[in-house]
Amino acid sequence: MAERKQWKWADDPSLNKMELTKLEKDGLDVIETIVNTYSKEGFQSIESSDMDRFKWAGVYQQRPKDGHFMMRVRIPGGLLNSEQARVLAKIAEDYGRDLVDVTTRQAVQFHWLTVESLADIFDRLAAVGLSSFEACGDCPRTIMGNPLAGIDPHEVLDTRPLVAELEKFFLLNREFSNLPRKYKMSISANIHNAAHAQINDLAFTPAKKTIAGEEVIGFHVWVGGGLSAKPYLAKKLDVFCRPEEVVKVAEGVTTLFRDYGYRQKRTHARLKFLVADWGAEKFKEELVKLVGELEPQGEDLLQGWNGGYFYGIHEQKQKGLYYAGLSVPVGRMDASELVELARLADEYGDGTIGTCNTQNVLIRNIPKDKIAAFQAEPLIVNRFKLQPNTFVGYAVSCTGTEYCNLAIVETKERMRALALYLDETVELDTPLRIHMIGCPNSCGQRQIGDIGLQGALVKTPSGMVEAFDIHVGGTLEEPQFNRKLNARITVDKLGPFLAQLITLYKADRLEGEPYWRYVERVGLERIQEQVDSILQTA
Amino acid sequence: MSEEQTETYLYKLEAVLEEGRLLTVVVLANSDERAFSAAENNILRHTVAPPHIKELSLVEKKPIGRQGVGYVIETSHF
Ligand code: HEM
Ligand code: SF4
Repeated sequence: MAERKQWKWADDPSLNKMELTKLEKDGLDVIETIVNTYSKEGFQSIESSDMDRFKWAGVYQQRPKDGHFMMRVRIPGGLLNSEQARVLAKIAEDYGRDLVDVTTRQAVQFHWLTVESLADIFDRLAAVGLSSFEACGDCPRTIMGNPLAGIDPHEVLDTRPLVAELEKFFLLNREFSNLPRKYKMSISANIHNAAHAQINDLAFTPAKKTIAGEEVIGFHVWVGGGLSAKPYLAKKLDVFCRPEEVVKVAEGVTTLFRDYGYRQKRTHARLKFLVADWGAEKFKEELVKLVGELEPQGEDLLQGWNGGYFYGIHEQKQKGLYYAGLSVPVGRMDASELVELARLADEYGDGTIGTCNTQNVLIRNIPKDKIAAFQAEPLIVNRFKLQPNTFVGYAVSCTGTEYCNLAIVETKERMRALALYLDETVELDTPLRIHMIGCPNSCGQRQIGDIGLQGALVKTPSGMVEAFDIHVGGTLEEPQFNRKLNARITVDKLGPFLAQLITLYKADRLEGEPYWRYVERVGLERIQEQVDSILQTA
Repeated sequence: MSEEQTETYLYKLEAVLEEGRLLTVVVLANSDERAFSAAENNILRHTVAPPHIKELSLVEKKPIGRQGVGYVIETSHF
């Protein structure tokens, strides 16, 4: 076990209980205990205080609590090679009942793992340079990025080396393994905000600035975003960050969070609370004290938001090479599909698979003369489509009651079925992003959906029925979270209800107007009237 | 650590009464069904004439076990 560090907050009498647990034994130390003890002696041997620490190993008890775990594997920047993909697939096959989920932060998630399998899984991951460590827990999580980095015609620089540096700096770094709460970073130089800057604790977005007569491409820095029950949009600091300053700035921001973040209440511990209290100006002052002077803001190169979607075949920065954006409905695949995807990446591309924060995947570096054959591949024709139907293509869902202890309702399969139904029922030629979640925690990022569906259980004469609250108008284009309507729709009526709501929008909207913009234009009251009239005739 | 079959949660439910009144109810229970019946019992106990509950929904559950688990209930002035 590593030597215990004397943190400056260690003597604070008002620390919450989890803080005491973390001081007693660092989260990262559980990895050794899992490997040497728990994976040999089994579930019954797990100390309850260590169960919390399992998150630092990237594992979490799943529902029902019968000894099975979910594991999240970090995919830094959403880039993975075919060899890694095959290892992931094999783990799913051997230990995870064949299930692979791509998550809303570009990670890969397994279910059904037993503690006995963990040591072997850690080894298999490490052998191909992957890790689940710190994928959960109060520490720096998977670093979100642009899955097109390096080939993206819409990026102003290649962020791959920066993601790698950040990952190298933070992963297993004991200076930062005891933060007040989870900590999410994103970095992207795509001008369409591919990595959802405003909902991360720390985000870097593309910017430029003329410094001493020279034009420098770099980043603007955002802090304090996050979703969950009390969502906040990150604030932009008055800072211009050169690419070579990214790690230094990230270290500075993370140090501020570590040393000044709140540790009294877990519900008031994310960086957003510190940022809300300090304000962006003071935050910058404190940051500068740590990292030295930084240039003030330059020109913002962000233009709108692509939603994290890349469907179809598109030409890369490199002439003659193409990438293919594929749809994985609600992010779920089986091991054999991942193996097949790896084969396609090798055969047609450069072996790289990109994971998207929309729970989708992409393949990079396909030469022009291979495109036709690629398009004809059965996996592409039948499953991971290049041009998915509108609703299936833009449906995001959290895990729900299937595996999650906090879920009120079933979500993933339901979202898939709902999207299929809407595609059969409503014809719509523009994307309409629907996000479904099973409780207020918002793992499925309900707040940024054009329509956000949040589960509840309703008591009816015939028993408990699952239902959803409807939220409308979320976007990161002109960042705004969706807002709740007065409507709790039981699942038997959800499909027809949404079909009617969307049909009314279709009739009313301006040419090509996305749903969030429509909501903005006509106002929430108008949408509520639509809802009321649908419910009256239902 | 012992294997648990059921876990106890602090549940948050919302009730709409006939007159349009809204109630938020917080109960401890170890299943969703029990949460509903506990909520109904509590509403009954809270009122003199039995109210007609138009809609009762369960909207959140938090596992107990950690000190201080709770909810903030927003209320309005009447
Ligand atoms: C077994 C239970 C759970 C499951 C299966 C689950 C699943 C997920 C998944 C797949 C993600 C995307 C994560 C990533 O790739 O890094 C996520 C994110 C998230 N989860 Fe959970 N989660 C669970 C429990 C929780 C709990 C207990 C909380 C809150 C205390 C929570 C709050 C969140 C939030 C706020 C996000 C991030 C949304 C965002 O800002 O991007 N989740 N969860
Ligand atoms: S949003 Fe709630 S129900 Fe869905 S996975 Fe997250 S914690 Fe579970």
